[in-house]
Amino acid sequence: MHTESALKRWLSPLVDPKIFDFWAAHLSRTWRWERRLARVSAVTAAADGATTLTLRWGRRAPALLPGQHVNITVDVAGVRHTRAYSPTVLDARQWQITVREQPGGCVSHFLSAPERVGSTLEVSAGFGDMLLPQDQAPWLLLAAGSGITPFRSLLRAAAAADALPPSVTLLYWADRAASLCFADEFDQLAADHPQFRWQPLLTREGEAPAARINAEQLAEWAPLLAGSRVYSCGPAGFVSSAEALVAGQALQVVSEAFSLPPLQPAGEPVTITLARSGRQLTVPGGTPLLAALEQAGERPPHGCRMGICNTCSCGKQAGTTEDLLNGALSAEPITALRLCVSSARSDLTLDL
Amino acid sequence: MSLSPSPSRALTAAEVEAFGREIDAVRERVEAEVGERDARYIRRVHAAVRYTEAAGRGLLFLGLFPPFWLLGTLLLGLSKILENMELGHNVMHGQYDWMNDPQFNGKTYEWDIVGTSDNWRHTHNFKHHTYTNIKGMDDDIGYGLLRLFPEQRWRPFYLFQPFFSVIFALLFQWGVAIQNLRIGRLFAGRMSKGEFREAASPVARKAGRQLLKDYVLFPLVAGPFFLPVLLGNVVANGIRNVWTWLIIFCGHFTANAEVFPKSVLRNETRGHWYLRQIRGSSNLKGGRLMHILSGNLSFQIEHHLFPDLPAYRYAQVAPEIRDICQRYGVHYNTGSLWRQFGQVCWRIVRYAFPSKYVPVERRQLVVSEEAS
Ligand code: FES
Repeated sequence: MHTESALKRWLSPLVDPKIFDFWAAHLSRTWRWERRLARVSAVTAAADGATTLTLRWGRRAPALLPGQHVNITVDVAGVRHTRAYSPTVLDARQWQITVREQPGGCVSHFLSAPERVGSTLEVSAGFGDMLLPQDQAPWLLLAAGSGITPFRSLLRAAAAADALPPSVTLLYWADRAASLCFADEFDQLAADHPQFRWQPLLTREGEAPAARINAEQLAEWAPLLAGSRVYSCGPAGFVSSAEALVAGQALQVVSEAFSLPPLQPAGEPVTITLARSGRQLTVPGGTPLLAALEQAGERPPHGCRMGICNTCSCGKQAGTTEDLLNGALSAEPITALRLCVSSARSDLTLDL
Repeated sequence: MSLSPSPSRALTAAEVEAFGREIDAVRERVEAEVGERDARYIRRVHAAVRYTEAAGRGLLFLGLFPPFWLLGTLLLGLSKILENMELGHNVMHGQYDWMNDPQFNGKTYEWDIVGTSDNWRHTHNFKHHTYTNIKGMDDDIGYGLLRLFPEQRWRPFYLFQPFFSVIFALLFQWGVAIQNLRIGRLFAGRMSKGEFREAASPVARKAGRQLLKDYVLFPLVAGPFFLPVLLGNVVANGIRNVWTWLIIFCGHFTANAEVFPKSVLRNETRGHWYLRQIRGSSNLKGGRLMHILSGNLSFQIEHHLFPDLPAYRYAQVAPEIRDICQRYGVHYNTGSLWRQFGQVCWRIVRYAFPSKYVPVERRQLVVSEEAS
């Protein structure tokens, strides 16, 4: 490790890291200057429509705290796509991610394929702040669908460190029993640690299917709401209902939503967050972003204003945009767009 | 003397609109197809650049043996041509931005010539491609050095331009490097020294790095073979300079190329813009190798219509564009490299000598019924 960083320091003025990586790819599957690559060592079914990938690190894995996410980048049909997953650390060399197959989702489909075994994936460092707390306040974990993954990671880490608080309740919504992930693991955890309880809530199975998240359920399963730490993770609608239900009662609420913000009809105002300057502004959706930003007093670089010179090209970190030349919508996180011929169709975060 | 006649028929406003729509339709069809094949292609080009460079530099290290020197120099020159044209030029137009690969990102790519990518993105991507062949706005018209059109006023200085052209071709990358600095304005006192220094410092830094790499570091690594490696690098850069000069001049300054006054920008529609791009550009006929080595700028017309579509698609759309032009009576200029080169030489020599100044305002892009 030390020799590696010293080598990099000496070489960096002389060698273009991109050229270095080009040749490194001929020598090693995972050794790169700029990127972190992990090898997929196994692809197994986790539940109906969900697949677990085991990633092996050749050398030191990037920093990751339990409960955090990483960005995983894959090349599908020539285009690099990036998605966030919450991995579970098995040991210093191995991680697992669980991917739920989305209808029409090119990345989830790609990752779930058995032929991924042996290929490499690009993985970022961990981010996000759904972390292990330092004190012993009770936990209430609310998960829907693949929102379960950060909780698996938190629970395993806390149990391994013998740091589970005196009361931990996990409520896990899924459509049917076959789509629950890690059920055996949670049963085992409950058997080993009496302070842990978990309750699957199936919305499409059984005599009386469970309802979507509501106050009665919380009152029934988690009466100790006051003074608890509430973590919720799932689609945006689920997370916002959860937040509304526990507002004002819990000690702390941490939530993470992973679905896209809703599409805004043209003309409706959208909020644009400028990642570099930290500024937030409201602009009318559907108008060319360059003009809208200028209206709001920003001065992004530009040239032709008609989509030919690429001067206004700018990174987008989140949100949905429309290409005004051909009407195509793009919800892909982490892409470049040309401000002069794109418009915002949801809240956006731009690299400005 | 009257205006030299345009080889293109004058279109009415309605015709221009229909014409623009047909070209748009071609664009949309190609856009929908762009994907895996194009990604694979540009990655292969990138690999070819790296392999030829490694092979060329490797052979140059054995350069005391003349055949190795020659082959090494040619391979390095080839690598630099590919990097400059098919890789750098096209990537920097944003043609591969959809891949989301930082390696092929048009905004951050830095190419292997002395000019900085940032300057070029301004002079070329923006000015040349937006204001193509508009006198006073597109600096590529004679690069501020040559008189190539009767619409430029003759000055005695131009008598030497056949000679300057040769120097310019040999040092082309340096011309590109300083194009944005507008040294003329400094000498004319229209730019302060401080402003100039600020604009020049990134250029100087980049040029210094390039010189260090090709003319100091690699020769030093070769130890006792310092000189052959140095010489090989000089020649390889020279080959690339002359080739890019040739492709650019033959794509723009052939006999029928037209220049336009700023007034054409008034109410310019997409159709007008397309027309201007076509009437200012010329294609080069040739085989696949010719297209690859020119970065597909042998399809200069298609490149000017669709600068952000992967260049390797131009060959596929060229027959359609040609057919559209034919139907509308718009001249589609194409010829062999030699024929176009002959016309370029003719322009360079002809306009070195005085000719009657033709005010550019008289050259109209479109003559609609109202205007004629
Ligand atoms: S300003 Fe030229 S592409 Fe946007």
